[in-house]
Amino acid sequence: MRVKELGKDRRAETITLFIGPQHPGSGHLRLVVELDGDVVVGIRPDIGWVHRGVEKIAETKKFVQVIPLIERPSIIDSANMNVGYVRAVEKLLGVEVPDRARYIRTILCELNRIASHLYGIGIFGNMIGTSTIFMWSFGDREIIVELMQELTGARLTYSFFLPGGVKGDLPDGFEEKLEKGLRYIENRIPEYNALFIENPVTEDRLKGVGVIDREKAVQIGLTGPNLRASGVEYDARMVGEYGAYKDLGFKPVTRPEGDSFARLMVRFDEIDGSIGLIRKAIREMPQGPIMHERTKGMARQVLMKVPEGEAFSRVECGRGELTFFVVSKGGDKPHRVRMVTPSFRNLIGFETALVGHRLADVPTVYGSLDYFPPEADR
Amino acid sequence: MSALVAPWPISLILEPEVFIPLVYPGLVVLTLTLLGIIWLERKLTAKVQRRYGPLYVARKLGGAAQPMADGIKFVFSEQIIPRNTDKLVFIFGPLLLFTFSILPVIGIPLSPGYTAIASDISLLIVVALVVIAPIVLLMVAWGSNNKFSLIGGLRDGYLMISYEVPIILSILAMAALYNSLDLIEIAEAQAGTWGIFLNPLAALAFFAAMLIATGRFPFEIAEAETEIVAGWTTEYSSALYMSNMGTSYTRMYVMAHLFTLVFLGGWNPLPGFLPASGLLPGLMILVKSLAVMGLMVLLRSIYPRFRVDQGVRIGWHKLFTLSMAAIALSVLLVASGVWG
Repeated sequence: MRVKELGKDRRAETITLFIGPQHPGSGHLRLVVELDGDVVVGIRPDIGWVHRGVEKIAETKKFVQVIPLIERPSIIDSANMNVGYVRAVEKLLGVEVPDRARYIRTILCELNRIASHLYGIGIFGNMIGTSTIFMWSFGDREIIVELMQELTGARLTYSFFLPGGVKGDLPDGFEEKLEKGLRYIENRIPEYNALFIENPVTEDRLKGVGVIDREKAVQIGLTGPNLRASGVEYDARMVGEYGAYKDLGFKPVTRPEGDSFARLMVRFDEIDGSIGLIRKAIREMPQGPIMHERTKGMARQVLMKVPEGEAFSRVECGRGELTFFVVSKGGDKPHRVRMVTPSFRNLIGFETALVGHRLADVPTVYGSLDYFPPEADR
Repeated sequence: MSALVAPWPISLILEPEVFIPLVYPGLVVLTLTLLGIIWLERKLTAKVQRRYGPLYVARKLGGAAQPMADGIKFVFSEQIIPRNTDKLVFIFGPLLLFTFSILPVIGIPLSPGYTAIASDISLLIVVALVVIAPIVLLMVAWGSNNKFSLIGGLRDGYLMISYEVPIILSILAMAALYNSLDLIEIAEAQAGTWGIFLNPLAALAFFAAMLIATGRFPFEIAEAETEIVAGWTTEYSSALYMSNMGTSYTRMYVMAHLFTLVFLGGWNPLPGFLPASGLLPGLMILVKSLAVMGLMVLLRSIYPRFRVDQGVRIGWHKLFTLSMAAIALSVLLVASGVWG
């Protein structure tokens, strides 16, 4: 429509704004926002821009080949993705992971959670306009990424967990490097507090914005830090069916407020929690094998035939609970792999949290939900 | 001016009516300052964010030629004019905007007697010229025929009505204090004590309103990248975009000069090696203005941005109250005989 005609059109009382998929604040996602003045009266997330059919491709690959595939949707959180799938296959195989392997898994998963939370916090900071926190957290995340590279050999996609155990033991001198890295992150947290969390502008922007109360959070099925920020004490690590969380006495972080600020703070506190878990895991780590006898060696992994059956696993990713449902018909390829990612479940939070807020709160809520489009699209 | 008789082109340039609009504080020094301040902004932000910032263009100078390289790149990239825009406004709007942004410098004196327009209300002239530009900005935003631009322009409009009142009130507070609206008299009155120490409330209100007016953080609301792409300048590319970007920095440059003259003593205190008249005292103004601009751009690395409703609220609740208090303070100072 020509500009002149647009000015005369009196029917237009609301503006429909297409935010994304090519928008500096959208990621691979389109938000169709209905605006009345500056107030959001409706929002519809339009997803699927980076769908690559992971579930279907998985049916054409051998069990061990699926591991790199299911890591890809969330490369910044790949160890947690990996452990979810591997747990389901282990249940089908009926193998128990050796104790040392469970501890190594816990260490890598928690390192990856710190990296994932730093990533989320950085993006969040950028979305509300502070590029400093973006640069800081991405820079500090590098420390963790280097540690994970030291352990696994890869920076982002580790494929380190195989059915029955882990690929390798801790390298020589890893404990000292790990402790140094963790101490560095710990020392940086007060600086984040001073610049970002206690910044009056941050508080003005985040407090009371995008509130999802406890009942609503449970009703719409939020998960992960977003659920815990609404005061629900649930974490898939509590269930304790993977890793060494039960032995380590894991306790989830919760906050009662349910607003964007609470969601940010839960992530910050979980970084602290993860550091504690890693330290404890290093201290209490038992000696022993790192791979179950039945799946040891490359040949056994590649030629693996999985008995017929169905298995379900749940793990806690950086963004929430990830569930896998794997069906085997007794061959060397899975018959069906169903993967429900936390971002997909958190997506609904947009509609609940945003209506009635301002246009400027769209990126705030987006960042606070820590929504990661490739993870949701799979 | 001086005992030496300069050849006529030089003496012509040194005439205040030519020198002020064209050289300093006009176009030449403005251009250099913009290049410098953009480099400084990127370098300061990089320091805070533990990065290098611009590095490779003119490496020995710490990448100081990077803004120049960016400028050349902007000029030679394709100028895209989208269909369905109001072409006249789309093309001439940015130029008009830039013109209105630079216009206030003609009222800025460099020393007693060295001024382009000798007027006893030069302060009012400068302030009046400063607040014209946002109207053109609204026009440009509308002419772009883009929803993000429109929202950005409207945001700027909302902010405009909330920062102009505190700016004018805090200026009035200082005018009452110096009993003058002439920038030369105001600067001369600060030979002893600077305005910022006489009436810190007015200085604070003016500085904050200045941040809103120039779209600095935490009030970078009209150009919020993650919310409305680049606000009113979304559709622009190439040289016209550069003009838009320059406008924002030009406004900062002009406001910083105004702040220097009204609150930081202008050319006072004058160091001994500078003559008391002519154009050289302008160096003091430049140095102080650069410091003010440096402070303004440093805020980018510290604050997130406010929402537009919060920005408007700060303008009307906090800054309006503050500038009214500044007027009361001025009246108190004058009435009690402490000053003036």
